[in-house]
Amino acid sequence: MAEEARKAPAAPHADAGGDGRVDGASGRAGATGRAPAAGAAGTRQPVRLKKPSTWQQYKTLLGKDLTQEFRTKEMLTSMGIYALLVLVVYGATLAQSGGQVDILQMSGGLLWTLIVFTSLLGLNRSFSHEKEQGCLEGILLVPLDRSVVFLAKATSNLLFLLAVEVIAIPLFCFFFMTSVPLAESAPLALAPLVVGAVGVAGIGTLLSTITVNTRGKDVMLAVLFIPLVFPLLYACVSATTVVVVGVEGYLDAFVPAMALAAGYDVVMLLASWVLYDFVVSA
Amino acid sequence: MNPVLAEIYSTIIPSAPFVIAAYALLLVVLFVYVFSIARGFKKAEAQMAVLEEAIAELNEKNAQ
Amino acid sequence: MADRKQPRLPEAGQWPDRLVPAALGVGALLAVAGFLMAFLFAPPVNGASVNGVEVIGGQVVSNVLLLSQKIFYFHMPVAIVSFVALAFACYYSVRFLMTKNRRFDTCARIAMEVSLLFVVCTMITGDLWTRFEWGVWWTWDPRLTTYLILMLIIIAYFILRNAIDEPERRSVYAAVVSIVAFIDVPICFMVTRVIPSSIHPVVVREGGMSADMGITLAVCMVGLMLLGFALYRTRFRQVRLTERVEALKEQLEDRMSDVR
Repeated sequence: MAEEARKAPAAPHADAGGDGRVDGASGRAGATGRAPAAGAAGTRQPVRLKKPSTWQQYKTLLGKDLTQEFRTKEMLTSMGIYALLVLVVYGATLAQSGGQVDILQMSGGLLWTLIVFTSLLGLNRSFSHEKEQGCLEGILLVPLDRSVVFLAKATSNLLFLLAVEVIAIPLFCFFFMTSVPLAESAPLALAPLVVGAVGVAGIGTLLSTITVNTRGKDVMLAVLFIPLVFPLLYACVSATTVVVVGVEGYLDAFVPAMALAAGYDVVMLLASWVLYDFVVSA
Repeated sequence: MNPVLAEIYSTIIPSAPFVIAAYALLLVVLFVYVFSIARGFKKAEAQMAVLEEAIAELNEKNAQ
Repeated sequence: MADRKQPRLPEAGQWPDRLVPAALGVGALLAVAGFLMAFLFAPPVNGASVNGVEVIGGQVVSNVLLLSQKIFYFHMPVAIVSFVALAFACYYSVRFLMTKNRRFDTCARIAMEVSLLFVVCTMITGDLWTRFEWGVWWTWDPRLTTYLILMLIIIAYFILRNAIDEPERRSVYAAVVSIVAFIDVPICFMVTRVIPSSIHPVVVREGGMSADMGITLAVCMVGLMLLGFALYRTRFRQVRLTERVEALKEQLEDRMSDVR
């Protein structure tokens, strides 16, 4: 209620200012917002401001992140290289062991270590951009629901994370899994990978918004993120490991693990979605 | 001592240090917290004295 | 809603403070009584069975008697108090986000402190028991894991508070983290129990409790709850006093510069 009241009077000015900023950041973003106004001016009719739908706002915000990424390729390259480097470290670590059973049992855990640390890197960057270029302030001037900002940012983080997974997992298999026969249930491992990525992106977006304003933000994100994501990590590692190893009756362990991971996703996404307004406005 | 009794009581003595340590450390932790609270009170009181002095000084200045 | 704009704020010297001396006295008394009862009144717990039977104090005993279980009488109540404190921290955080009044932030912070205190106590007592019974200092057992994660989250909460300079922002972020932590901990609790890990320590499951044990546990529980409450209120009073002194100091400094 109070939120609406605060937003309403500022709407016309804020709209212009916000559009300008978003426009500067991406180029494509402003076009949808400005089109009706331009048309109205052309025919000399009273100016009608059409409020873009929530879906459109979401698309614009997501488009901004993706456009920026396509232009600079900064996030994907840094995350990809980092993942590759972690794999190299694994190579050194595992050089002395390398029994077939060992690697199969450990593969789920190793894979998730890779994903967690790579996502930490990505999440750290995702908001430092916005902060450094003042883009976040511009977005906040636009009279839109703050949860849309959260959803857009979480989606872009999710997409980057999935892209990195798509690169890193074949590499992981190439480096470590070629000597061992994969169980036929191994493709099921995609489910925990996707569900885990959703949870990591959701809670990670909330936490990276918090830590971007703190001293020592890189460490701060890890300190908050790793304990909070632990249940998801635990469930996903368990689900991944059982299907990769493919022991008898693996579904008995796989289904509850996935259910818990999905439950974590739902609860945490809802909580982050509700709390995001407070965080981003503070 | 009969061997059965000895076996029945076999873990009592070895576990005693752990039990004692557990209770002792628990008390230590609680008391550390209590002491930190007490120190906070003392600090606040010291500050209060400083404040009183400053107010007295201020009153003197106003009187002149 | 306009007339409820100023909600009644927790302040030092309100009615809960009048209960503090009583709570402290009764809590300490009950804790001591519980401690004595744990060793003198509650029957020892049976461990592995031995070859033979012996009559001790009119009772037939055919198992190893365990002293290490006595830790449990304080361990479990301490753990529960820590969780109750966390719940209060979450409640005050929600109140803070609703009202944006810094007093609630102070309350949440202190509840968090008490929670951390009791979590540390839980870890210490639990770990000493683990060391003796399982012969290891650490194992990724569900109970241990959950509490380690809880402790890490609470420590992260305080690290976060230290890492932010602006008071308003610090309060909001801390409140959000404490709410998320409170949601996270039950999930962690469930996840580590439902999903078996591949490490299987030989868990000597505590069976059902006898009535004597239950009474002892209840006495300890009430005692530690009261102690936790007294600690919380005392700390709150101290923090409020410090805050008020600080505020006075600032005012006085302004006045001093006016006079000069």
